[in-house]
Amino acid sequence: MHKYIIRRLLLAVPVLLLSSLIVFGLMRVMPGDALTALMAESGNVGERELQKLRKDLGLDRRYHEQYLIWLWQMVTFNPGDSIFTNEPIPVALKKSIPVTLELATLALILGLVIAVPIGVLSATRQDTPSDYTGRVVAVSGLSLPDFWLGTLVITFAAIWFHWIPPIGYVSFWESPWRNLQQFLLPAAVLGFRLSAATMRMTRSTVLEVLREDYVRTAWAKGLEGRIVVYKHALKNALIPVVTIVGGQLGTLLAGTVVVETIFALPGMGRLTVEAILFRDYPVVQTNVMLVAATLVTLNLLVDLSYAWLDPRIRYR
Amino acid sequence: MPANNPGPIAVRRQMKRREFLKHVGRGGVGATVLVVGAGRARVSAQTSSPYPDWIPASTKPPKRGGVLTRASAWDPPLLDPRLTQSVGLFQFAGLTSNRLVRYAFPDEASGTSDLSLKGDLAESWQSSSDHRVWTFKLRQGVKWHNVPPINGRELVAADVKYCYEAYAKEGVQAFTFREIEGMETPDRYTLRVHLQTPNVLFPQNVAESVTVIFPREVLEEDGDLKKRLVGTGPYILKEHTRKVRVVLTRNPDYYDKGRPYVDEYVILSTPDDATRVAAFRTGQSDIVWRASLADVEAIRKTNPAAVVQEYKNVLTPFGLALAQDKPPFNDLRVRRAISIAIDRQKQVDTLFEGHGFLGWGVPYIYYQDQPPTAAQLGPWWQYRPAEAKKLLAEAGHPNGFETTIFYYEYFPQMTSQVQLVQQDLKRNLNINVKITKLDYTTYYGRYVESKWDGMAWGFQSGHAVGLDERTYMYMHSQSTKNFFRVNDPVIDELSTKLRQTPDRAEQRVITRKIVDREFDQVLRMWMPYDNGFLVFQPYVRNAAALAIRRTDGYGSPTIARVWLDK
Repeated sequence: MHKYIIRRLLLAVPVLLLSSLIVFGLMRVMPGDALTALMAESGNVGERELQKLRKDLGLDRRYHEQYLIWLWQMVTFNPGDSIFTNEPIPVALKKSIPVTLELATLALILGLVIAVPIGVLSATRQDTPSDYTGRVVAVSGLSLPDFWLGTLVITFAAIWFHWIPPIGYVSFWESPWRNLQQFLLPAAVLGFRLSAATMRMTRSTVLEVLREDYVRTAWAKGLEGRIVVYKHALKNALIPVVTIVGGQLGTLLAGTVVVETIFALPGMGRLTVEAILFRDYPVVQTNVMLVAATLVTLNLLVDLSYAWLDPRIRYR
Repeated sequence: MPANNPGPIAVRRQMKRREFLKHVGRGGVGATVLVVGAGRARVSAQTSSPYPDWIPASTKPPKRGGVLTRASAWDPPLLDPRLTQSVGLFQFAGLTSNRLVRYAFPDEASGTSDLSLKGDLAESWQSSSDHRVWTFKLRQGVKWHNVPPINGRELVAADVKYCYEAYAKEGVQAFTFREIEGMETPDRYTLRVHLQTPNVLFPQNVAESVTVIFPREVLEEDGDLKKRLVGTGPYILKEHTRKVRVVLTRNPDYYDKGRPYVDEYVILSTPDDATRVAAFRTGQSDIVWRASLADVEAIRKTNPAAVVQEYKNVLTPFGLALAQDKPPFNDLRVRRAISIAIDRQKQVDTLFEGHGFLGWGVPYIYYQDQPPTAAQLGPWWQYRPAEAKKLLAEAGHPNGFETTIFYYEYFPQMTSQVQLVQQDLKRNLNINVKITKLDYTTYYGRYVESKWDGMAWGFQSGHAVGLDERTYMYMHSQSTKNFFRVNDPVIDELSTKLRQTPDRAEQRVITRKIVDREFDQVLRMWMPYDNGFLVFQPYVRNAAALAIRRTDGYGSPTIARVWLDK
């Protein structure tokens, strides 16, 4: 198992290197830079001044020099400052990561709380009204986009209840109740969407497992239905579900721009998109690398969890 | 423009696809009728709104205290007024900082178009007879905010001198301040500014919302002004958390004793339009901007007591910019042909729901009292496709030509607007326009570099109030802000003459001539734009917007006079 983990970690190095090259290259291919975004509109900045400012920011260096400097900064865990705001990138991340983490965790929990029971119910009561209802809910979750659902939720909450989540992010430690008010609705919107895929996967894998011989044996032994489904069937049906949930978590941690925008939450999604729009190279590059590293780690954790779920699985 | 776009004035609501198609459908029918009757001048039809365009100052005695909150689309990218003219910054920089001179506040103004200048840090100002030397007498006893590193020391003339020199040295205001040849401070409260050329409009330039006075200590300590915004204004910046909130707290040492009235002004970063409306509905925001009457009516259903001011724009920030220094657009006949081949009224009727106007670049309040009618815009602003075809043929393009246009979608209707222009040019002149939609940074980079060929959906900055800025700065061939690439000796001469003409009446005459010349030569091909509405909670007093100074944008200094009646 240790060998397996080390091998996977070593394999992650070329993946991350390739990601760094792609993000660095793509950012440089895009026209304009942070200074253009910031100052050009005024029309007051001459080309000579722009060149001077670019030099001050190191944007006039050759691309390979810029890449190597940045790579060294990443390796030494010192990603530098935003060229747009001058804010150290770790400070910006420290502000946005907890927001995204909280939103992702809540959304995932809500998603699972909705998806797994309904998925199991759909499977055990196949082709009954409760199955159809569950499937309709799942299809709705897959087909309703975040921006539509989020906008609808916030608009009708304001009209019907004269209430919307308080605007202006407050951390959980500052005010737990206000923080929860801010996060529950966006997490529910995200969770509903996530639950759709999980629900469908749970239903189909539970259905499959329920037809296995060992489940038939469990029934034949006269075990209680709840024990057969939840102890014998569900655990074995969870491997594909865990794979899906792992992927969803990766996507969530990369930031959910639309929901963050609608509910005015200052998470990773807004940070990254704004940085892309303003060509804030170091911020974009660092965020993308962070997401890449997170996805690699999550994939590894998901793979490792298979052995816990199914003791027959061995790592070599 | 993204949440923190430093750009033209307004942010609009999204028009629903179904709604748009309905309007285009109507417009299509209308267009058929109008093509049949082409050649007749049409007046700009504006839907009348039940809301006033001016809210006079409250007659009640102002109350102190309370918190004013606004959900804002804009987020300040950084706090350095040398490096950005973003509305994100100036939605509050005008409250933390003062200028030498300012425009009238709503509680002093006679109406939205009142452009009278008042002293801000300067108590009085006068020019030499040749208008090359301007002397400003500063208020005594004005204190910087009582925060490090200045700790409430007195503002003196040397501070203003230092600040203007810094603006001239680098950054977005360099062109404006390089007009200054030198400055003297004969005593602590007198600043004498020597200009390179005469300019009677110089006080207007230093009254612009972006020309705020910052302290030398912060620049010297930090090397820039990106993180700390300290001034002499009515509010002290208490918190600035990007993408979350800006909190301004009352400055107890403000020179205008008794003001401001509101204890705290909180700006909540709210990039989504629906959320801003929801925030207003639920009382989390006290001011909201709406682009259409239908939107206002929807809000009034849940908030019937909301107070509405119709905001009538006095200029349009967007137009068709042509590479008029190159063929085929250097031919006046081609420019005129294009201009009269575009059905602007259709854009007003369809995209702006009849609530828009045909478009002009210099604020009309500088040359006439009422918005120009279609007829007043002159022959080259009328929709005359047959004449257009003839003109283009005379210019040697009977079969049209191929060209390109690039744009950034400032608001959803803009894409439809560009497409309508494309359709008009194809149908009426057989000009094939290839459209390229760009992201914000790419668009700016390409547009202001002024090396592009073909056409661009051009803009003029939204912050400027002054006449000098709107004429000389934006149209003189030597100006770096001349994005439309105007190169016309008559405009150069007139805009220079305007700077040397102190008499208001004469200024209006010259401005009129500039505008007539611009329209006649089709130097900047303005496109329709619309009006909007500011909606206030019923207890907000004295927050009316003034021409080119929206309370929620560059007109933020108005907040110093706002009070809450609750």
